[in-house]
Amino acid sequence: MSLSQPSGEERRVQFLGGASVDGAPVAYLIVLAAVVTVLAFIPFSAVLGMGGSFPMSQGVYSLVGWILGPLAGAVSSGIGTLIGVFVAPHTTRVWYVSVMSALITSFAAGAMAAGGKRRGWWLLPFVLGVLGFVVYVGRGLQNGVALSTALMTTFVNWSALILYLLPTRSLFARWIASTSLLKLAAGLFLGTWMTYGLAHVCAGAITYLMFNWPAEVWMTLIPIIPVEFATRGAIGAVIGTGVIAGLRAIGLVKPTHAAY
Amino acid sequence: MDIHTPLAHFEKVSYQYPHRTDFALQEINLTVRKGELLGVIGATGAGKTTFCLTLNGIVPQFYGGRFFGHLRVAGLDTVDTPIHQLARHVGMVLEDPETQLIATSVENEIAFALENLNVPAEEIRARIPRVLEMVRLENLPKRHPSELSGGQKQRLAIAAALAVQPDLLVLDEPVSQLDPQGAQDVFAVLRELNHTMGMTIVISGHAAEELAESAHRLILLAKGAIVAEGTPEEIYGNVPLLEEYGVRPPQVAKTFWLVRHLLPPGASLPVRLSEGLNRLKDLPRPVHLPAIPASGATRPSAEALITVRDLHHIYPNGTHALCGVSFDIHAGEYVLIAGQNGAGKSTLVRHFVNLLQPTRGEVHFAGQDTRTLSTADAARRIGYVGQNPDLQLFNRTVEDEIAFALRHLHYPADEVRRRTDEALDALRLNDVRQRHPFSLPKGERARVVIAAVLALQPEVLIFDEPTTGQDLAGATAILDITRDLHRMGKTILVITHHLYLMPGYAERALLMNKGHLLLDAPLREAYHNLAALERTALTQPQAVKLAQALEARWQVPLPLLTPQEVAQCWLAEATE
Repeated sequence: MSLSQPSGEERRVQFLGGASVDGAPVAYLIVLAAVVTVLAFIPFSAVLGMGGSFPMSQGVYSLVGWILGPLAGAVSSGIGTLIGVFVAPHTTRVWYVSVMSALITSFAAGAMAAGGKRRGWWLLPFVLGVLGFVVYVGRGLQNGVALSTALMTTFVNWSALILYLLPTRSLFARWIASTSLLKLAAGLFLGTWMTYGLAHVCAGAITYLMFNWPAEVWMTLIPIIPVEFATRGAIGAVIGTGVIAGLRAIGLVKPTHAAY
Repeated sequence: MDIHTPLAHFEKVSYQYPHRTDFALQEINLTVRKGELLGVIGATGAGKTTFCLTLNGIVPQFYGGRFFGHLRVAGLDTVDTPIHQLARHVGMVLEDPETQLIATSVENEIAFALENLNVPAEEIRARIPRVLEMVRLENLPKRHPSELSGGQKQRLAIAAALAVQPDLLVLDEPVSQLDPQGAQDVFAVLRELNHTMGMTIVISGHAAEELAESAHRLILLAKGAIVAEGTPEEIYGNVPLLEEYGVRPPQVAKTFWLVRHLLPPGASLPVRLSEGLNRLKDLPRPVHLPAIPASGATRPSAEALITVRDLHHIYPNGTHALCGVSFDIHAGEYVLIAGQNGAGKSTLVRHFVNLLQPTRGEVHFAGQDTRTLSTADAARRIGYVGQNPDLQLFNRTVEDEIAFALRHLHYPADEVRRRTDEALDALRLNDVRQRHPFSLPKGERARVVIAAVLALQPEVLIFDEPTTGQDLAGATAILDITRDLHRMGKTILVITHHLYLMPGYAERALLMNKGHLLLDAPLREAYHNLAALERTALTQPQAVKLAQALEARWQVPLPLLTPQEVAQCWLAEATE
């Protein structure tokens, strides 16, 4: 039996549960915060200069922003990371820097596709990224790091700033909203690279001011950091493609500011 | 009890899920009256769950999609009223109680919703013992919910819903995962709430015998529309209608339908067992009784394929799940494993595929200790379809899910495609091959897992509660596949509480009780062993009870199992 046009009046459907943050159900925030916390247990790379290791959760901060939107995404990944700081200290170096990275990355991701009154929100993480870059590289130059070395080490960061400034920002957002899985995966990979790159340089600026690692470490980082970023992108793409395809297929309510 | 005042009113309600072109509900016009116990029946995918979810606003507020018409519950429009306000009026109990239990003790579970609704602490403390008494859990307030049996968990979920003192209690397939005793307990509680408190209750599901006993009214859904509405006598007494829409009638109705020519003209069919037992006296004793079918299992003389010796299993929390179980299963057998929730059935079969290892004793498969079986070997040779299909689904499409293991076992692409297509055909999944497995109803998700296991063509197939949540067509389709596989020489093991489904399929029954093997007998003998069944919280199918009533009346042995076999007592004579 098929129904071409129901006889009843079509109603305006909206989520009235009240338990939501910026249009995203609180249940979603909790689930994704839990995912971030769980992934905080898994180290995926050693940290040169300070010791410790990076948590795998860094690969999904952006995804959380695309699923929940800039504000709810930042709240969710921020809470998940904060809990992760306590329960998985082995992947934490400076706790507030970890939380800050999560907040900036998710916000930057959620702001990529923002329209209307939020059209200019992307400027906030971009400006923070530029400031972080200036402080990080400037301090490095002061400490005697060669300009070429500084630029090669921060390739992931300045490439992220350029990609975020140019129309590639909205292009990646369109890919993430695309029904083509290939485009979705590419958007997730490049989007993760780009948005984490902004947070990374802000975090790098603070930690470098604290630890002042020597110029030799900058050299060593040149081949390592892009590999780490590619890994983060791959984590975002692999997890994100499945999650977003699943969310679309299951048809659960979509947060108001979601990018998928 | 006033069962005339409307409590919920559907007016031209239609609903379409997001990203779907078909309607999950179509033109629903219905009034649910105060004090009524309404049963919602229909085949898998008929719209029962969606119907239930509209009553507390989860559809459409949580799922989104397009909603047409108006639905008012307790005077509130379910589209315009926030879910948390509707929750004060509509209590909801889902099919799987595990998904709604979150607290660390029974009493905390009851308190959770009340705390969220800002009910004063003293009032919460007063309500907890009251609702626990209603569902007969008053002795377990401190127990952790995970330590409760399936029936107890479902009763706890009901208690948590009742504590809010809703006007309407909605239960979506509440007993599909329970053993017959657990199901009867839940229905007894619901009848009591309805009779003594006048609680309005809506129950969806396939539990025909229980709904016939309990419901005031039934609606039959098909493709989201109400195709019939009436009393249980009117609906369950209309066997052709039910069969047309893939719904199983109570066995007593089915039996009398088959011999309807012997009933007085215009007489309605009995739909409850007590009525059926009374009406047996209206039926004449046939002069010649039909030959009794063979008693079932003839044990193959071949060497045992699975050998279980003195098997004990103790879980890390100290639960002694298996206590010295010993038996053999031969190649080519079809074995039913039955017993109450927590009897140790799933624990037992998980040893066959090395998902669990014996605490004491041994399990051998084809002479090899199962502890030494690798995952790949086990997957190739023994197919295991677990109780919860969702734990075995992780691909993006149904087709990928079925092909997954084949690809990882390095079968050639042509072979992967051929086997995938065959499995899709066999399980009637062709129409949904490109859908995401989690976008399907639970019944179809279970069929996806079975298809994935089937594609591997293992020697032994273990089905752990494969018919849970399935309608008649779905359950029969799955069991028909098991029979086909059995005829092809495969060894089949099925765990189920649904004893009425197994005649015609299984030959041998292992009845388990609290970790012990209670009975190992041919199916016919096991079904007529009331004492053993009762010890493990199982109940005889209605057809078996009718056969035993006839046996007592006619003083002849009648080890019959199905409505068809019982009816054959008279039909055989008519055809002579």
